[in-house]
Amino acid sequence: MPLLSESDRQAVRTQLAGIAHPVTLLLFTQTFGEPETARLTKQIVDELASLNDHVTVEEVNFVLDKDRAAQYGVDHIPAIVVLRDGEDTRMRFLGAPAGYEFMSLIEAVTVAGGDDSGLSEASRDLIREHVTQPTNIQVFVTPT
Amino acid sequence: MSLAHRMAVESPNIQATCVEATEFLDLSRRYHVSGVPKTIVNDTIEILGALPEDAFVREVLGRPPADSSSSAPA
Repeated sequence: MPLLSESDRQAVRTQLAGIAHPVTLLLFTQTFGEPETARLTKQIVDELASLNDHVTVEEVNFVLDKDRAAQYGVDHIPAIVVLRDGEDTRMRFLGAPAGYEFMSLIEAVTVAGGDDSGLSEASRDLIREHVTQPTNIQVFVTPT
Repeated sequence: MSLAHRMAVESPNIQATCVEATEFLDLSRRYHVSGVPKTIVNDTIEILGALPEDAFVREVLGRPPADSSSSAPA
């Protein structure tokens, strides 16, 4: 059964309409002993990808493809790594982006596929000036 | 979530991960997550709750606005 109603699908299509770059959602899962949420995560990204031709899903086996897991620093599953034109955007999701976080996934895909982060000029200046070292941001959320 | 993601797009040095807290209890425990959203930067800066863009960016960069009290070293 689809997660999104037809009216939701239409709303998401509209939101994704401005995408100009190919966006790949790298979905890290595993075949055996995968968490229950891995299947839900796959369903979410597959439904999202079905709504825009620029968005594709590539499933990566976390156990068998250790090199790619290491390349993207993925150490838990299910994980989603967002690529734009095949390049890492450094946007990640750990766990199923369900409920409210589905909006975050749509935003991440929209940002990846567009040409503008949407941040203010002041924010960009701060980042340009002060981010000179690797900075790892983790935002803990819950689904509701 | 999207502010952190937007920051990642702006700098090759920034990586931003949205972590589903109830699915990764080990991580939630490690960072003492008792409410969400909770943001952890390089294991050292923690930001509780959602902030407006300017405040969030400054907190993440370790340069909180003068009147801010929401950031504390872990």
